[in-house]
Amino acid sequence: MTEYYESYTTVFALLAAGILLVAVAFTASRLVRPDRSYGGKLSTYECGIDPVGQGWSQTHIRYYLFAFLFVIFDVETLFIFPWAVVLGEAGELQPFMLGVMLVFLFFVTLTLPYEYKKGVLKWA
Amino acid sequence: MDVDQATQIDLFALAPELAVLGASLLVLLIELFLHGPRKRFVNPIAVLGVLVAFGFVVALWLDGAQRSSFGQMFVVDDYALAFKGFFLAVALFVLLISYRYFSEIRTFQGEYYFLMLAAFLGMMLMPSARDLVMLFIALELVSVPGFIMAGLRKFDLRSNEGAMKFFLFGVLSAAVLLFGLSIVYGFTGTTTLEGVAASLSAGEANPLLLAATLFVIAGFGFKVSAVPFHFWAPDTYEGAPIPVTAFLAVASKAAGFAGLLQVTFVAFEPLADVWAPVLGVVAILTMTLGNLTALTQTNMVRLLAYSSVAHAGYVLVPFAVVQPGDAALNADAFSAVLVYLFAYGAMNIGAFAVVIAVARRHPGRRVSDYAGLGQRSPGLAVALTTFLVSLGGIPPLVGFVAKLAVFFVAVEAGTTLGIVLAAAVAINTVISLVYYLRVARVVWMEEAPEPEPEPVQPGLALGFTVGGLAVVTVALFVLAPLLWGAADQAVLIASG
Amino acid sequence: MSVPAGYYLILAAALFSIGAVGVLIRRSVIVMFMCVELMLNSVNLTLVTFARIQANLDGQVLAFFVIVVAAAEVVVGLALVVNLFRLRASTDADGVGALRA
Repeated sequence: MTEYYESYTTVFALLAAGILLVAVAFTASRLVRPDRSYGGKLSTYECGIDPVGQGWSQTHIRYYLFAFLFVIFDVETLFIFPWAVVLGEAGELQPFMLGVMLVFLFFVTLTLPYEYKKGVLKWA
Repeated sequence: MDVDQATQIDLFALAPELAVLGASLLVLLIELFLHGPRKRFVNPIAVLGVLVAFGFVVALWLDGAQRSSFGQMFVVDDYALAFKGFFLAVALFVLLISYRYFSEIRTFQGEYYFLMLAAFLGMMLMPSARDLVMLFIALELVSVPGFIMAGLRKFDLRSNEGAMKFFLFGVLSAAVLLFGLSIVYGFTGTTTLEGVAASLSAGEANPLLLAATLFVIAGFGFKVSAVPFHFWAPDTYEGAPIPVTAFLAVASKAAGFAGLLQVTFVAFEPLADVWAPVLGVVAILTMTLGNLTALTQTNMVRLLAYSSVAHAGYVLVPFAVVQPGDAALNADAFSAVLVYLFAYGAMNIGAFAVVIAVARRHPGRRVSDYAGLGQRSPGLAVALTTFLVSLGGIPPLVGFVAKLAVFFVAVEAGTTLGIVLAAAVAINTVISLVYYLRVARVVWMEEAPEPEPEPVQPGLALGFTVGGLAVVTVALFVLAPLLWGAADQAVLIASG
Repeated sequence: MSVPAGYYLILAAALFSIGAVGVLIRRSVIVMFMCVELMLNSVNLTLVTFARIQANLDGQVLAFFVIVVAAAEVVVGLALVVNLFRLRASTDADGVGALRA
C-alpha cells in the first residue's frame, strides 16, 4: 500500500507547494499593507456589477433549444474520435470504415436543414 | 468479435428495416414542405413504407435461408420473420387508426409518423438481435419515441404527466437492465446470447449473476407492464393520444415480450430454475391485479389499460414453466407465447379502433358513453362486442385459442407451479368476463341518453380497420391450427 | 502499481445505489433525472472495468451506446420537463395528480 501512495508523491508535493505559495504571499501582503477597511471595500465585486440579488440567476428559456442541439452534436464526436484514432491503422478495412462513417454523418447532417426549416435556429 | 465477420453486411436481410427507415426519413422531410391540412398526406407515405417492408419480409420468407449481418449480431430466421410480419401488420393498423385522429387535431403530424416508424424500426430489430448490445439498442429505439408520442398532446396536462411517468419509469428500468447486462457481460465475457448461454451452462451459478439475471428480466418487465412495474401504464395510456395508447398496449408490449423471449429462452435458459418461479409469481400478481382493478373502472381507456396489464400476466405464464434442458416443453411454452401475442394484437387494436371512433362523438371516453351504441351504430357495436368477448376468452373467437394455448402449456409442465398457474388463468378469465360483458351490456341493453347523440361515423380507414380486425378475430379461431403451426415453426430456443 | 479492478466495481455499485435511492426519495423531476444519469454512468464504469478484466472490447462498445442513449434520453426528458413547467410552473413530481385512478 505504501508503494501505492509513493506513486502520488509528486502530486502531494505540488499540492503542498501550491498551498505554501499562496499562504506566504497573502501573509506577507497582510503584514506590509495599510488596513483601513469598511463595508464597501469588503464586499465582493466583479466587473462593476453590483453584488445584489440571489446566487441563482435565470437563463432565458430560449437557450434550451441550443443546449439540445449541443447535446446532439456533442455526442456525435463520441463516435468520431475513436474512429479517427483507429482509421490510420485499419489497412484494407479503410474504405469500409470511411463508408460507414459517411453514412453516419449523412444522418447527422440531415438534421441541420430540418432544424433550419423548422425555424429552431432562428433567434426569436 | 471477429472484425472480418462484423463487416459483412447482407443488404437483403436488412431490407425491411431499410424500407421503414427510408419511409421515416421521407415522412420527416416531406412534412416540412406541406402546409395546413395537407400535412395529413404524410400518412399514406408511411403506410406505403410499411407495405414495402412487408413485401421484403414475404420475400425473405420465400427465400427461406437463414441470413445474418454484422457478424451474427443481426439474424433473420423464421422467428425473426414471424415477429417482423406481426409488427408490420400492427404498424399498418396503427397508422390507419391514426389518420383521422391526427388530421383532426392537426398537431405534429410529421413528427408523429416519424417517431412511430422509428419505434417500429426498433421493434423489427428486436427479434433479429442476437447480441446484448443490439438488444439494448432495439429496446431503447422502441422506448424513446414512445416517451415523446405519449406526451404529444402537449397542451394537455394529463398527456404530459402520463409521458413524464412513462419516461421516469422507462429510464429507471433501462438503467437497471443495463446494470444487469453489464454484470452478465462481466461474468461471461461475451455479449452474444448463445455465448452467454454456453458460458452459463458451463460454470456454477454465482449469486451476483442470478441477481443480474433478475435485473435484466425486471428491465423487460417494465416494457410489458408486469406488476410491480405497471404503475405507469394506466396513466400513460389515459393521457396519450388513443392511437399511441393502442401502440403502447400492443406493439411496444409485444416488442418487450420478443426481447424477453430471446433473453430468457436463449441466453438465460441454463438458469431457468431461478427466474421461472419468479416470473410465475409475477404472472399471477399481474393478471389478478390487472383484472381486479379493471373491475372498478368507469373510463373506457383505463379499463382497456388494466385489461392489457392482465393480459401481460397471461403471456408470462408460459415463461414460468420453462425448465433448463427440457427442449420439448420449452418449445411448447415458446409457441404458446407467440400464439397469445398474435391473437392479443388483433383483438386489442380492434378494441382501441372502436374507442377512437366513439371518442370522436364522446371525448370523455366514459363507459356510459357507449349506452345505446347497438341502436345507433350496429356495425361498430357488433365489432366491439366481438373484440371484448375475444379478450375475455370465449369461443368461437381467437382469444379462446390464446387462453387455451397458455392453459395447456401450464398443465403440460405438470409441476405444482404449473397447476397453480393454470388455476389462476382459469379464475382470472372468469373475473375478466365480468367487466368485458358489463361493457357489452351497456352497449346493447342500456338506452342512449336524451337527446340521442348522432350515430358514430368511423370513416374509411377506421371502418376498414375495425371490420378487418373483427374478421381476423373470428377467422383465426377457425384457422387456429394454422396459427399454432406458424408459431411452432418460429420457435427459437437455446441449442445447447 | 495500479488500483485493483474490484475497487472500480465497488465504486460503480455504490454510485448505482446512490442513484437508485435518489430516484426513489427525491421529488423534483430534474433531480430524479440526474440520479438516473448517475446510475447510467455507474453502468458505464462497470462495463469498462469488465472490458478490462475480460480483455475484450465488447464492454467498451456497449458503453459508447449507453452514452448515446443517455444523451437521447436527456433531450427527451428535458423537453418533457420544460413542457411540464410551462403547463404548471413547477417541476415537482408530488404535485402531479391530474391522473388518479
